Amino acid sequence: MKIDDKRSFWILPLAALFFLVLPFITPYKALASQMLIFGIFAIGYDILFGYTGLLSFGHAAYFGLGAYGAGLSLVHLSVPTLPALLIGVIISVLFALGIGYLSIRRRGIYFAMVTMAFAQMIYFIVFKWRSLTGGSDGLQGVPRPNVGPINLSSELTLYYFILFFFMISVFLGIRIIHSPFGKAIECLRENEDRARSVGFNPTRFKLMSFVISASFAGLAGGLYALLQNFVPLHALNLDTSGDIVLITLVGGKGTLYGPILAAMVILFLKDLLTSYINIWPLFLGLFFVISVMTFRRGIFKELKEKLLKF
Amino acid sequence: MDYNFIFAQLFNGLILGSIYVLLSLGLTVIFGTLGVVNFTHGALYMLGAYATYTFVTLLNLHFIIAILICPIIIGLIGIFLERLLIRKLYKLPHFYNLLLTFGIMFFIQDVIKIVYGPEGEPFNIPRFLDGSINLGFMLLPQYRLFIILITGFLALGVWLFIDKTKLGAIIRAGTDDSEMADALGINIPRTFTLVFGMGAALSGLAGVIAAPVQDVQPLMGMNFLVEAFVVVIIGGMGSIKGSIISGLIVGELITIGIIFWPPLATTLIYIFMAIVLIIRPRGLMGRAAFFE
Amino acid sequence: MVVLVVAVFCIASLAKAADTVKVGLISVLSGPLAVIGNGEAWSAEMAVKDFGTVLGKKIEFVTRDHAYNPGLANEKAKELYEKENVDVIVACPNSAAALAVAQQALLHKKPFMSTSAGTTDLIGKNCNRYVIKMNYNDYMLATTAGLWGAEHLGKRWYTITTDYAFGHDLLKNFTAALAKKGGTHVGNDMVALQTADYSPYILNALKAKPDVLVLLNVGSDTVNAMKAAVQYGLKKQCKIVHAQLFEPSIKGAGIEIFADNYVAAPWHWKVDHPGAREYADKYLKLHNERPHYMAAAAYSATWQYLEAVKRAGTTNPESVIKALEGHTFRDMFNNPGYIRPEDHMTVAKAYLLRVKRPENVKEKEDFFDIVGSVPPEEAYGPPNLFGCQMKGF
Repeated sequence: MKIDDKRSFWILPLAALFFLVLPFITPYKALASQMLIFGIFAIGYDILFGYTGLLSFGHAAYFGLGAYGAGLSLVHLSVPTLPALLIGVIISVLFALGIGYLSIRRRGIYFAMVTMAFAQMIYFIVFKWRSLTGGSDGLQGVPRPNVGPINLSSELTLYYFILFFFMISVFLGIRIIHSPFGKAIECLRENEDRARSVGFNPTRFKLMSFVISASFAGLAGGLYALLQNFVPLHALNLDTSGDIVLITLVGGKGTLYGPILAAMVILFLKDLLTSYINIWPLFLGLFFVISVMTFRRGIFKELKEKLLKF
Repeated sequence: MDYNFIFAQLFNGLILGSIYVLLSLGLTVIFGTLGVVNFTHGALYMLGAYATYTFVTLLNLHFIIAILICPIIIGLIGIFLERLLIRKLYKLPHFYNLLLTFGIMFFIQDVIKIVYGPEGEPFNIPRFLDGSINLGFMLLPQYRLFIILITGFLALGVWLFIDKTKLGAIIRAGTDDSEMADALGINIPRTFTLVFGMGAALSGLAGVIAAPVQDVQPLMGMNFLVEAFVVVIIGGMGSIKGSIISGLIVGELITIGIIFWPPLATTLIYIFMAIVLIIRPRGLMGRAAFFE
Repeated sequence: MVVLVVAVFCIASLAKAADTVKVGLISVLSGPLAVIGNGEAWSAEMAVKDFGTVLGKKIEFVTRDHAYNPGLANEKAKELYEKENVDVIVACPNSAAALAVAQQALLHKKPFMSTSAGTTDLIGKNCNRYVIKMNYNDYMLATTAGLWGAEHLGKRWYTITTDYAFGHDLLKNFTAALAKKGGTHVGNDMVALQTADYSPYILNALKAKPDVLVLLNVGSDTVNAMKAAVQYGLKKQCKIVHAQLFEPSIKGAGIEIFADNYVAAPWHWKVDHPGAREYADKYLKLHNERPHYMAAAAYSATWQYLEAVKRAGTTNPESVIKALEGHTFRDMFNNPGYIRPEDHMTVAKAYLLRVKRPENVKEKEDFFDIVGSVPPEEAYGPPNLFGCQMKGF
């Protein structure tokens, strides 16, 4: 995503303006915050799925662990906001290291299934450990301590706080993709054997990619805990894992901006549809099917192609 | 240690295992021959149950007729899905079909919810199979015995078909090397469609059998779906023998979990699956070629 | 393009006008539990229509689906309080969801009439002054059935519990009630949510030879458990008590399975309260089914809120809450009901229902007989049993 002609020059300021006014356009401010959070989640996931070519069906685990990690520190340890977010990320990363190490050795569908199995195990542990996590009730009463002079109790302020992290995530995502590491994982995705013959250690790169994507998920999770003032067990659910896969695929895997846009659009649509129509799972399923069948490269890649033809 | 009781539970685990075998046969046939991870499996299972309800309760036909006809209907639905959607994605990486079938599953479930209503339908064991047999150490419902017999019969049938018949050989050839098989004049697209239909029919049949013992509601397939995948992976995706053995093992594992520490029961199979995948990803009897 | 669509919808949804009272309802309006949520939504809307106007103002009614997802409920509560500017939120099944909405009620300083979540945390460690709890709670369901059952059904009890917060709470309260009446708890099985095959647990239960089997589960789990209980002959050997059982489940699985089973309930449509029969008949005419007690509770909650607004002479949240605390009322749901100021729990007489045999069903959805009752002090326990420390104002 380089700035290579006059038209793309306008993208950056327009995007900035869009994000600045987003909370005023969405039906309620918390929705805008949610869109950003899933955008962050999607960036990390695209690095793993789109750029490295690894389909993880259990990424809700890292999102959830980030949320519970941050939430528990806020509730039980009374740490300030920023350290709590950091703790969330660290916990996600630690688990990703362990699980990634065990899962990476397998490819394709087996990799997906192992990640799913581990995610289910984590779900089960969190569910059973009711005294610590609240079990199926979720972790209630997560506070939003002030960050220095910034009071986060207003939804609007929280949005801009999250926007800050969103911008950092986007920046990091782009830097990672354009770095030598980024090239290496793309090379891995295309042809692992050839990558190995050129001297890359596939296992090490895959693991790094896995951990990096988990860290984004963990950050998103921690921010989610702040937004909701509680951590629902559903964050660790298979549904949530499925959601992020859908978002990335529909947006266009391997583009970074595609999944971000898809995250926002899908969240918005979900909210809209549930308010007005009660049979929205039907539409979601239909949408899924249509996206997979037609927008194989992702909606936004297709749109971009069409737009660039002007 | 009440041995009678433990024996009764273990025997019951065999029945649970049979249900898993029935469930996973459809899944493994499709994956083994087409490489498609069929998420609609759960929805087809549910359709089988609903078809049975429609035939027996709404249309007043005999349960035996439902067993014979409903799987065929579900098989035809499977064929329809395959020709319309799934075959278009064979050339793409496998996760496209995985996601496609995922979406189709949601769609089918919601359609049924709209047509029949979300709370489910009453369906009980048909009169002629009701009643129990006194085995000494437990009272075994006749219907459960019926499940074991049907599953055994079916498993044997499917295995013989794939392994011993000419059509089965064609299917195996088509999977192992579709280009060569095509060059030899075998109609690959038609073979694939047939296999998908067969797998769908097996899922539907599992639903027919389950209807009397499970709550017939639109999401009834979802819960079994993940467990069915676990069974198939442990057994080895694509191996019928593997699915049979693994289904029985999983049934017993869950039962043992229930005897000793119930909350752990379902997680036990996930742990087992993870262990198998890490140590021997092809499963107990799968073929190494796929995805290792 | 997204911006345009969003903008259109924003303009289209007008903020609440100052001269209306707006009632919001959050419930499960999709998925298998929609039967509960739809009943609540229909009833609350009926109450709004029946009430007409309050303090000369029109009453508006909006609903939101939380799909039984606590995270979604949290967002919808924010949306309703902030964007829709509702004056009150009613209903919200699913304890985790209700806890989240209760928190939002405190943050936004607006009332929440919780009618369909069971957790006693709402009147305990998570209580706050903006939340009024009506209908049942986990303690009441278990204690009512436990106290009455131990006296009338038998002393040896076996429980099958769904392994999550609701199940655990019910189990704790059941065993306490059982102990009070000198009963014995002969065994328990914890079962994962959404289990399809209950046969191993039924086998466990058979071995223990109980007088009463208690099923601490809901929905599909209850149906699957009963199917297994019938098949393995357990139903013939002992009495069966449910934690919760609604008409849709009975319709969904067939009444033969549930015949002669017992359950505690705060209300049944044939109960002898003023207006109950009329409400049930009107509901039948409009929706072709009888109301379950979740629906009736939503009607009552909406009605009592509007009555409180009338009494207080304003929609100002603190005044309305004060008009509700300590208030005693008689309506078709509770006759009488008393809203305890200590923990905001509405207490009333609790009933025991028994499922009819198929041959005795005379009218449409006439599934239960009312066979007993327990007075409010016993059913709900003493005030502030759960250690509520009111915060809010």
